[in-house]
Amino acid sequence: MSTEAAPAAAPQGAAPSLTGVFVRLKLSLLRNGLRRSTGRALAYVGSVVVGLLFAAAAVLGLIALRGTAHAGALVVLLTGILALGWAALPLFFPTGDETLDPTRLVMLPLRPRPLIGSLLVASLVGIGPFVTLALVTGSVIAVAHGAAAAAVGVVAVVLVTLVCVSLARAVATASVRLLTSRRGRDLAVLSGLFIAIGAQGVNIAAQKLGRPDGLSVLEPVGTVLRWVPPASAVGAVEDAGHGAYGRALAGLALTAVALVLLLWWWQRTLTTLMTAPDSSTLQAVEKDSARGAAAGERGLARLLPDGRTGTVALRTLRYAWRDPKSKMAWATALGVGLLVPVVSAAQGNGSIYTSFSASALLGAQMYNQFGQDTSAFWMVASTIATPRDAYEELRARALALASVAVPFVTLVVLGSAAVIGPWSDFLEVYGLSLAVLGALLATGALSSALFPYSIPSEGNKNVAPGQGAIAWFSLFGGVAVGAVLCAPLLGLTIWLHVAGLHHLLWVLLPVGAVYGAGVAELGLRVAAPRVAGRLPEILTAVSKG
Amino acid sequence: MANEPEDIERRDESAPPPHSAAASAGGPAAAAREDAFAGPPAVRVQGLWKRFGDQIAVNGIDLTLPAGRFIGLVGPNGAGKTTTLSMVTGLLRPDSGLVEIGGHDVWRDPVSVKSRIGVLPEGLRLFERLSGRELLGYMGRLRGLPGGEVDKRAGQLLDVLDLSGARNKLVVDYSTGMRKKIGLAAALLHNPEVLFLDEPFEGVDPVSAQTIRGVLERYTASGATVIFSSHVMELVESLCDWVAVIAAGRIRADGPLAEVRGTAPSLQDAFLELVGARGRGAGADLDWLGGGGAR
Repeated sequence: MSTEAAPAAAPQGAAPSLTGVFVRLKLSLLRNGLRRSTGRALAYVGSVVVGLLFAAAAVLGLIALRGTAHAGALVVLLTGILALGWAALPLFFPTGDETLDPTRLVMLPLRPRPLIGSLLVASLVGIGPFVTLALVTGSVIAVAHGAAAAAVGVVAVVLVTLVCVSLARAVATASVRLLTSRRGRDLAVLSGLFIAIGAQGVNIAAQKLGRPDGLSVLEPVGTVLRWVPPASAVGAVEDAGHGAYGRALAGLALTAVALVLLLWWWQRTLTTLMTAPDSSTLQAVEKDSARGAAAGERGLARLLPDGRTGTVALRTLRYAWRDPKSKMAWATALGVGLLVPVVSAAQGNGSIYTSFSASALLGAQMYNQFGQDTSAFWMVASTIATPRDAYEELRARALALASVAVPFVTLVVLGSAAVIGPWSDFLEVYGLSLAVLGALLATGALSSALFPYSIPSEGNKNVAPGQGAIAWFSLFGGVAVGAVLCAPLLGLTIWLHVAGLHHLLWVLLPVGAVYGAGVAELGLRVAAPRVAGRLPEILTAVSKG
Repeated sequence: MANEPEDIERRDESAPPPHSAAASAGGPAAAAREDAFAGPPAVRVQGLWKRFGDQIAVNGIDLTLPAGRFIGLVGPNGAGKTTTLSMVTGLLRPDSGLVEIGGHDVWRDPVSVKSRIGVLPEGLRLFERLSGRELLGYMGRLRGLPGGEVDKRAGQLLDVLDLSGARNKLVVDYSTGMRKKIGLAAALLHNPEVLFLDEPFEGVDPVSAQTIRGVLERYTASGATVIFSSHVMELVESLCDWVAVIAAGRIRADGPLAEVRGTAPSLQDAFLELVGARGRGAGADLDWLGGGGAR
């Protein structure tokens, strides 16, 4: 339809009619999409109702905040979060709006400038922009005191909504090649992690803000954010209310400049995208030559020992970075290991013992080592002929893990001692953490040999269907055995405490470190002959699904 | 190991000139016997069985494959080719049976066997998040070769297999043909005596196929053994001097190409006869098909 409409309209001035075409296109696509299935229509109506209810509740809440002490900081923060959400949206839901997929417009004779205007207007049609508009309006009402503030507020609402929408479009256009490539699919695997960590952040924030006078913690954030567009426009409304017209004007101007820059960036990337050939293959080659030339890799490789140990450790570390599943597992372990002490400290009931989460989660990475290889395990299997080979393979993987885990655990325990305290418990907790890490490396190696299971390469699942029991059994069984393995050390700790020998608690650091290393070594030695003897069985198990 | 001088000499003596069907046609049985006496066969399989649930995938295979030959394992889809090759190379444990490679038991003496064989399996992945060069470096070092030697051989293999331009590209971004070639390079890196290739030409473009073919011909000309599975008879006929036909988990025929082909005009015809698919044409039942009367 637009192929006919656009050239016909071009001589009279393309911009107005083109906008109409895009808005109608968006509405027809929406209507046709809903016509295809009742379920989809119901879901859409449901989301509209929920969106409207949420918007109404939020607006009422914001209006109720009017006049409270920290309302200014809160609405500035809210605007900032809103803009962040719009920027992140296209990365997680790349196929959200097909009218805005620039690759579909490539064959049409369209000029960039009118096209941007039309696309921007078309993007304003929808629930998302409506909810945004409602929230920004509510925010402005919450802080607008006086006629001047109201006038600034009207401009601010329009500017903020436009910045949010064009931000999403510009990000989507800039990353469209990425999102349709293999790298984009890799990124999608990681999206769950961002949401999980984001949820923890929201959890902490809600707890903080829920306390009496909790809103006051927002003040420092608000002071910075009110100079960051588009929140600066909302900050301007409050300034106008106080009679600080210079500040108000500066705030509005910042957001307006941001809007112009965003539109310029969007137009530039859109033009490049629509005129340059799809060069994903060329790009890949260019990036690869860069990878080959990168000196860091050689440097890293030089640090590692020769032979199987260095080779396997290097491969494991490369996979931790390059393979989305491994990256997800590593990032989860590192992120959650750090979050547990941070969250408990933020909630005020922290204990230095929460830093055990770091060694527990990183130690758990040793589980199902060969499942992480997928069916590429045959390459490992075809080079393992003796239990000695299997031992070196397992030891190299444990070393790669420890090369990250030991410094990380050290940092987390140090940080917990510094922030939560007391320092007197530091050596004891550090020693026990190392022992826990060693015990989990040992049981992880053994369970990798005895209970391997396959990890599907696509999607967010970490266990192929029908293998959940093996995964849970090996993990929980292994952790239980790991706890038993740490029992002597725990016994020693308790005895030192009970006997009042607090001046000897430092002993737990060297004992814990040596015990951890020893138990890990023992675990690898017990696991190695089992790996060597079960190679075909492990390969079959990890190739399923 | 594989490049000890006397070893190569022996193999050169016993190996027939590559692709001289006439030479082996002259006295196939005699040539086979000669191979058998020259040294241990490349592969000896006795009473090999594998069952998956109710289905018998490999139903008692006895097979002796001479060293220094280009050997084709042919059979229809689902005949048990991949299962057999997996068991012979130690990647799948048989329910029962004996497998020897170069006189060494695959399951009792893995040290001797694993250093002597190269494998390119079908349907199993590679470490795809490594670049081609890194993958070869990884495999070579796991095989215990010195780092410098690995890098030298990897560079030469990448050149010969026309992968130099993509050596720093991740294998996950490779095409099917490039994957087969990098898999072949990984299998050849340690100069094995016996090379097992499962469907090496499946999904491979003609240019890559020709490259693979050239490398394999050069490799067998030096006296090494290639055993590859395929269901493309023309390919097997043009490449191999020894053939084993497998169907429904059993060996139907094996021996020099000319002997297996017998009086049939082509290996394809001989094969159809052996697997009992002869005359099962698409004739009688579809008599309405074609002829222009569209109804």
